[in-house]
Amino acid sequence: MATYSSRIEAAPAARWTWGSGLITRERLAPVVAGAVLVVIWEAWVRTHLPEFVARPSGIVMAIPSTIAAGEFWSDVAATLGAIMEGVVIGSVAGILIGVAMGRVRELDWFLSTYIRALYALPLIALVPIVILWVGYQPAARLVIVVISVFLPVAVTTADGTRAISKDYLDVGKIFGARTHNVWFGIALPSATPYIVAGIELGFARGITNAIAVEILASVNGMGMSVFTKSNELNENASLVYVLCLAIFAVSIRSLMIRFRHWLAPWYVR
Amino acid sequence: MTAASARGLKMTTAGRAESFEGRLARFRIVNAWWIRLACYALSILLLLGVWQALGNSFGVLFVPFTTTMGRLWEMLQSGPLLPGLAVSGKLYGVTLAINIVVGVTVGLLLARIKLIAAAFEPYIYTLYATPTISLVPFVSVMFGFDFGSRVLVSVLISIFPILIGVTEGARSIPRQHLDVAAIFGSTEGQLWRDVIVPYVTPYAMSGIKQSIALSMVGTLVAEFFLNPDGVAAVLLQGTTVVDSGWVLAVTIFISAIAVVLVGVGELIERYLVRWRHTAVG
Repeated sequence: MATYSSRIEAAPAARWTWGSGLITRERLAPVVAGAVLVVIWEAWVRTHLPEFVARPSGIVMAIPSTIAAGEFWSDVAATLGAIMEGVVIGSVAGILIGVAMGRVRELDWFLSTYIRALYALPLIALVPIVILWVGYQPAARLVIVVISVFLPVAVTTADGTRAISKDYLDVGKIFGARTHNVWFGIALPSATPYIVAGIELGFARGITNAIAVEILASVNGMGMSVFTKSNELNENASLVYVLCLAIFAVSIRSLMIRFRHWLAPWYVR
Repeated sequence: MTAASARGLKMTTAGRAESFEGRLARFRIVNAWWIRLACYALSILLLLGVWQALGNSFGVLFVPFTTTMGRLWEMLQSGPLLPGLAVSGKLYGVTLAINIVVGVTVGLLLARIKLIAAAFEPYIYTLYATPTISLVPFVSVMFGFDFGSRVLVSVLISIFPILIGVTEGARSIPRQHLDVAAIFGSTEGQLWRDVIVPYVTPYAMSGIKQSIALSMVGTLVAEFFLNPDGVAAVLLQGTTVVDSGWVLAVTIFISAIAVVLVGVGELIERYLVRWRHTAVG
């Protein structure tokens, strides 16, 4: 009986430990796996591929010179600045429209053609038409990030504010809540986890689409540099940029999870 | 009662005066279906009207709706659209198939073998969070620009909902199910057939639903950035010659396909909800 359970469920405590149980098999495993992956990558590139192809040692060597360049910091400022700006604008707009959609059914029906339908589409398909309208310039990137964040936030806010428990509404009514009290005092706080989930999704899409605009419209930024460095056969520097983007994306993700725990500690998922 | 009538309030059968708000609320409930239809119709009419009006005044950068539809029809008749769709469709199909096979297999492996999960999960989640689009140059240098590279990029973008969904599903199998199977002496094969597969199926399906939409993003990204090909190449062709009618027509074409695919995903989910109910009840 225990044999079946242990296959799927939590593993039995690690058989061997070092020190006072600080180094367990489970903690050691990712380090070993990571080291093996890095060694395979390094060896494969050294034996099979030309000199310029990125390999772990090369990336580490390239970090100082890449980061020392002023171009790197202007790229970081441009891309991350546009993403943050777009996320703020898109979230605020999305929350306002979303609450209205969630509380007024007719508005939801009226806007769902635009918002819910667009939300379902691969937004990357909109990049060319936005570039065409806005021009080959940084504004196109901002517009795309705003759209990428606005749509999921509006949809999740609408869903979250619609699905509030009737008890809350009844209590509000008893205490004489006015419409704006219901919208922003009851519906909005109870939809917090949905809103944060929407912003999280918007962030992820925004980063991808911002990079897509940079490359397709030749707008300076981190995404553009990933591609230009690669074209200049400076693969290692290109991967340094990728590494920074990955660190940014991962930290945003964990930050959003903390943000949700802090804003909505009652919501367990 | 007469006083109330004099003030213009409608009386209900109960004899209580009904306020304007009350009557409005009732009207909204009674006529919900018609109001909903009217809202949809109004919003679509408004969209088309504004589009047409803007198109007529802006000219080159924003062609009217009717012109766009004309262009779409032309391109479907004798343009590069259908050949492009065939190319993209092949990439999409291969991507989705790989996502399902590899995603389910690796997902189950991660759920069942604790050590593998502990070893690779941090990297899987990091890869999931990394904007795959930025890995395109690296993939092209390592593996070239051919079909295989496109599939790799596309899969990296769209496999994770299935993989992570299956892992979480298989991990959440209640201990009792496994214990009952053990008590009745089920073999490894029976355990899989009767417990694990049925339990994980809904999780896998909801992952597949998400992957149906994401595979389209993956296909487009792969085609945009690894030497343009397929529908994405057709789209870019219009951008380089600043032909907004062309770009709008292709965008609408892609949107229509996306709506169909998302609809398929939704059907799967609806079926799934029913399946879950019958499975539980």
